Amino acid sequence: MALASTKFKDLDFFNQSLESGYKLLPFNFIKLDDSRYVITNIAGEYLVITKEDLYAVANKQLCPGSPVYNTLKSKHFIYDDDSSVALELLALKYRTKMAPLANFTGLHLFVTTLRCDHSCPYCQVSRQSEDKAAFDMTPEIADKAIDFTFQSPSNEIKIEFQGGESLLNFEMVKYVVEEATKRNQTENRDLQFVIATNLSPLTDGMLDFCLKYDILISTSLDGPEELHNGNRPRPGKDSYEKVMTGMQKVRELLGPDKLGALMTTTKDSLTQAKPIIDEYVEQGFSSIFLRPLSPYGFAIKTKSFDAYQTEEWLKFYKEGLDYIIELNKQGLYFIEDYTALILNKMLTPFGTTYVDLQSPSGMAISAIVFNYDGDIYASDESRMLAEMGEKRFRLGNLLQDTYEGVMLSDALLGPLEATITESMPMCNDCGFQNYCGSDPVYHYATQGDIIGNKAFSGFCKKNMTIMRHLIKLLEDDPEARDVLLSWVRV
Amino acid sequence: MTKESTTPLVKNDDGSLIILFPKSVYSLDAVKKASYKFTDSCSFLINEQNTAYEVLCKPTADIPSKALDELVNSFCNEVLDQDLRERIASETHAVRSLILAQAFSKTSLLEG
Ligand code: SF4
Repeated sequence: MALASTKFKDLDFFNQSLESGYKLLPFNFIKLDDSRYVITNIAGEYLVITKEDLYAVANKQLCPGSPVYNTLKSKHFIYDDDSSVALELLALKYRTKMAPLANFTGLHLFVTTLRCDHSCPYCQVSRQSEDKAAFDMTPEIADKAIDFTFQSPSNEIKIEFQGGESLLNFEMVKYVVEEATKRNQTENRDLQFVIATNLSPLTDGMLDFCLKYDILISTSLDGPEELHNGNRPRPGKDSYEKVMTGMQKVRELLGPDKLGALMTTTKDSLTQAKPIIDEYVEQGFSSIFLRPLSPYGFAIKTKSFDAYQTEEWLKFYKEGLDYIIELNKQGLYFIEDYTALILNKMLTPFGTTYVDLQSPSGMAISAIVFNYDGDIYASDESRMLAEMGEKRFRLGNLLQDTYEGVMLSDALLGPLEATITESMPMCNDCGFQNYCGSDPVYHYATQGDIIGNKAFSGFCKKNMTIMRHLIKLLEDDPEARDVLLSWVRV
Repeated sequence: MTKESTTPLVKNDDGSLIILFPKSVYSLDAVKKASYKFTDSCSFLINEQNTAYEVLCKPTADIPSKALDELVNSFCNEVLDQDLRERIASETHAVRSLILAQAFSKTSLLEG
């Protein structure tokens, strides 16, 4: 075969070189604790082995037929004369992991308005204004955004309405849903709509519309009443009450499976992991996403502040995860979403479309944002950063730029190329590279550089600590392992 | 040109350290990559001598002596690990290319 004979050595070459025993397949490793290492192969399968065994494998000192030899062979870390299909199998697994990349942009965020009735301190974008003309999306922009959306090759298209408070411009939500649905009669994509809303402007008429078009609702719930209202101020100080009333109506009219909730973690949340989880359980949710503190809106310009905040958040996360595992042990099926995403990367052959756990970064590949004024951003965080004066991740404008122009722009391709974990310093030989990703916007916001020095990076520290923690739980705590495995999709 | 040091580890009065890595055992890349990983706690200056790489390591904050010893141990182990990574990468370079080519092609490279 041409490719094999010119660029690559053929299979005979590999077979001949086996005469002396076994050969190594590509793998990375990382220290787990003082005596153990995690080793990961090219397809992301992992093993925990002792330091002695790791050095013995690489130094060709393993005894063929020994238990560790057989395990390493069956998990594709080494191969010998008997494993002729190992390379094909590994290639297949690698391809499966990479498959989501080919699907390209699935999630399209439409910012219908920047106006909002809340004034949450962590939000950089919302405006307390009655001026619809200044901050609302127009039909002209919406038409362009719909055109752009349907140029994505993805078969699964999700349109999510964001704000400000998206429902303050419900007319635009309606317009986009109706137009996109019409358009989809010829496109035949798997089209889905989500409204992200604080639920305060929700009316029965809106819910009837949601029912007709099978629209999902995603709301914000930050925790118990006091914390929620403190995080999310609005006139009347009744944000929590409004969410409760709204959630009840959504469940009654659309069904419980049509409602999801997201929490934002603030400094005040960090001491309240249990009460926040209890609130989610009490409100009938079966999962929670313990989200990291956002660097946007905090005065987080120094590296040490980033590290400090990450330490605090990790304490919060571990306390929360311990508690959730405990609840599961008592018979309640309840998932921590970020943990489940990582476990699925670790334990299944499937990749993810979660933006921050992808290589290259999922910016614009997994999700893209159309701002009310037609500006196109690579992610919601890019839009936040732009509001803080940094437009580095603005990819163009719907009124001026074409799909090809935006998707092939230096503003997008530059960061994508630079954020392939396989080529980033420290990530390139990290044992967790297969499970991790990159967040150029975060690193730009905290270090002024899209790649960032991972030795200082809160993103790296967060992922490395969580991954070590999860592998230790899987290895050393059989009860926790059973719970974690129940979160993995089969 | 400064005089070549011969002691593998020297602790200076100003809190900095000099660590020697014999060239016959370690590669420059391994020393550099390990240093990069520790840039959150130290600054580094790497010099090439005739037979060794000399690493001048300055902690960026005051570190108690026991913690400093631990840091040095971890750093030296990391250089060893980096060296091992390099060996694995160079031994598996060709087979890695084959697997990737196979993964991204529609046909089987291993048949026919
Ligand atoms: S960000 Fe950190 S944990 Fe993730 S791959 Fe890079 S070095 Fe590893």
